[in-house]
Amino acid sequence: MNTGHRGAGTSPLGRAWHRTVAAWRRVEDFHQQVFDARWGHARRREARAQQDTLRALLMLETLGVDNPVAYETLDLIPYMVADLHSWHQRLGRDDFGAPGGCC
Amino acid sequence: MPAVAVLLGALALFALGYRFYSVYLAKRVYALDPDFVTPAHTLKDGVDYVPTNKHIVFAHHFISVAGAAPIVGPAIAVFWGWGPALLWVVLGTIFASGAHDFGSIVVSVRHKGRSIGSLASDVISARARILFLLIIFFLVTMVNAVFAVIIAGLFIDNPSAVLPVLVTIPLAIGVGQVVYRRRTAALVPSVIALVIVYACIPLGEMFPITVDPVAGALGVEPAFVWLVLIFAYTFFTSRLPVWMLLQPRDYINQHQMMLALLVIMVGVVVGMNTIEAPAFRGDLPEGSPSIFPLLFITIACGAVSGFHSLVSSGTTSKQLDKETDARYVGYVSSLGEGTLAVCSILACTAGIMVFSANQGMAWSDIYVDWTAAGTGPAGKFVQGVAGFAGNLGVPENLGVVFATVVVVSFAATSLDTAVRLQRYTIQEISTIAADKASEGGAVHRVFAFLTRSVTVSTLLAVLIPFALALVPGNFAAGTLWQLFGTTNQLTAGLALAVIAVWVTKRGRNPIVVLIPLVFLVVMTSWALVVQLMGFLGSDDPMQRFVLAPLDIAIFGLAVWMTVEAAIALRKAFAGRSATGAKDTADAAPAEDTEPTP
Repeated sequence: MNTGHRGAGTSPLGRAWHRTVAAWRRVEDFHQQVFDARWGHARRREARAQQDTLRALLMLETLGVDNPVAYETLDLIPYMVADLHSWHQRLGRDDFGAPGGCC
Repeated sequence: MPAVAVLLGALALFALGYRFYSVYLAKRVYALDPDFVTPAHTLKDGVDYVPTNKHIVFAHHFISVAGAAPIVGPAIAVFWGWGPALLWVVLGTIFASGAHDFGSIVVSVRHKGRSIGSLASDVISARARILFLLIIFFLVTMVNAVFAVIIAGLFIDNPSAVLPVLVTIPLAIGVGQVVYRRRTAALVPSVIALVIVYACIPLGEMFPITVDPVAGALGVEPAFVWLVLIFAYTFFTSRLPVWMLLQPRDYINQHQMMLALLVIMVGVVVGMNTIEAPAFRGDLPEGSPSIFPLLFITIACGAVSGFHSLVSSGTTSKQLDKETDARYVGYVSSLGEGTLAVCSILACTAGIMVFSANQGMAWSDIYVDWTAAGTGPAGKFVQGVAGFAGNLGVPENLGVVFATVVVVSFAATSLDTAVRLQRYTIQEISTIAADKASEGGAVHRVFAFLTRSVTVSTLLAVLIPFALALVPGNFAAGTLWQLFGTTNQLTAGLALAVIAVWVTKRGRNPIVVLIPLVFLVVMTSWALVVQLMGFLGSDDPMQRFVLAPLDIAIFGLAVWMTVEAAIALRKAFAGRSATGAKDTADAAPAEDTEPTP
């Protein structure tokens, strides 16, 4: 083996190396999907439950509860906005925010 | 009869089943539509509903349904000879299991990926949901009890296997950490973990682990100590996040399963061993149970298993990219499980006779009576696999440990999954019971507490099967196995009833679903009566006062299910006659179809 894979794409050995690496990545990717297929949904649910709990703690005031550390956690609020709609729907609230409107 | 001929013959029939019968089911019975938009697309949420490549869904489905059960059932059932067991496995897989697994996926896909229990309440009746939950409760209780007994038995028989199995736990935790903390692909770490597990096999030979000193000090049997340890382990496992232990352990075990199947098949071909057992055993020992109906509940997984419908409608249907993928995923997974059962039959009738401890013995000396057949069935499979591995040059002692590690890993993963499932079932039953009980009463408070408390419901999910595992007294798996078989076949019956009603409502002929449904209901009910007679006639108070009432309860569920299925089918046929619907996709009720964007 006289070359690394960088800059060796034009030589036959380099092309063979690239093909080998690409084939390996495909195998690895397939196995990763198999690895995730059986328990991936359960893992994602657990992650979502943790995320929901964190969101509820950070947004206590929106639930009518005083949050004594609201000032300290204010910076985190923007990170919590992305999935706000699906979160309040999971909480059982169809609308969120101003009366008659939604987030 | 050469084992290789049986293996190749069974595989050829499976191939024909896929080529012709699954196509018939897909076109004429389930009427798959390549343009139908599956719930994985319409309800895509990135959590449960995720469109997935069909090969990945197949891998998920097969891995989820294949476990220790298709190994244990055939290992007991060859008692009647290898012919009946093989016939039931091959015919059951092609005509019952294929239709059941495939149909469960299709019906669920056509109902927004909902579970079979939820569908039962819609398609059959509202009561069917409670019926379903109760059947699942009994099924999972039996699974947990019987697999724990099997693991304990294997650990006692093969203390050399304890170390490699124990090593799997920290290795799996390590793989989980590497994959999720360091964002590494799972392939290399899990293969390294597998290599370490197998490297520990010779170490296990040098350092066998037993619980005899502990059992001696406490004045109990070693099996009792193992059962306590196994159930304590499952309690903690089912409370841990899945990524931490369950998922990586399961993945390591999947590699083991593939390796074991490969060893058996190549061992059969290379060894050219002969099946030493009779095809049909005419000289059954006195007191042996009749092949009818017990064969059909002794082999559940491997021929047809209701547990598969939980997977089909639980996770598989939510990942299906195209409806037409259901044929490949559902039917071929059934064939895979059938292949595992065929391998178990061959191991217990051919491979077992190559095993050195059995040299010079007749096969009927091993399966000397029904009690011997039901005691240590997994141990017989282990000996058979070790025999086949010997054909490949693997030393017999290492082959035994290898096969034991495989079976224990299968059974342990099934236990972990089943305890988790039992917790959900207990919480769901508690929710229904709390709703029905009067508000503020003691009953309401107890069930409401169970609904809320994950720890207590998990504890119940562990303690009930633990108590049941102690009941047979001699820790024999045989009796519990048959009760497990009856509940498993009842679950299959309920799923087939849902499929049959759905097929009927859509104006197509449900006969190919009705035949296995009626067959299972008749055999299961018959078996329950036979078992009940045995329990009531026994001198053992545990059998008379614990297993007999359990049997009666399961029989009650069987009768209930039959009545519900009959009523639902009568209504479906009546509705079809009224509308004049006939064998067309257009006959589908509006609520069955997903909106197409």
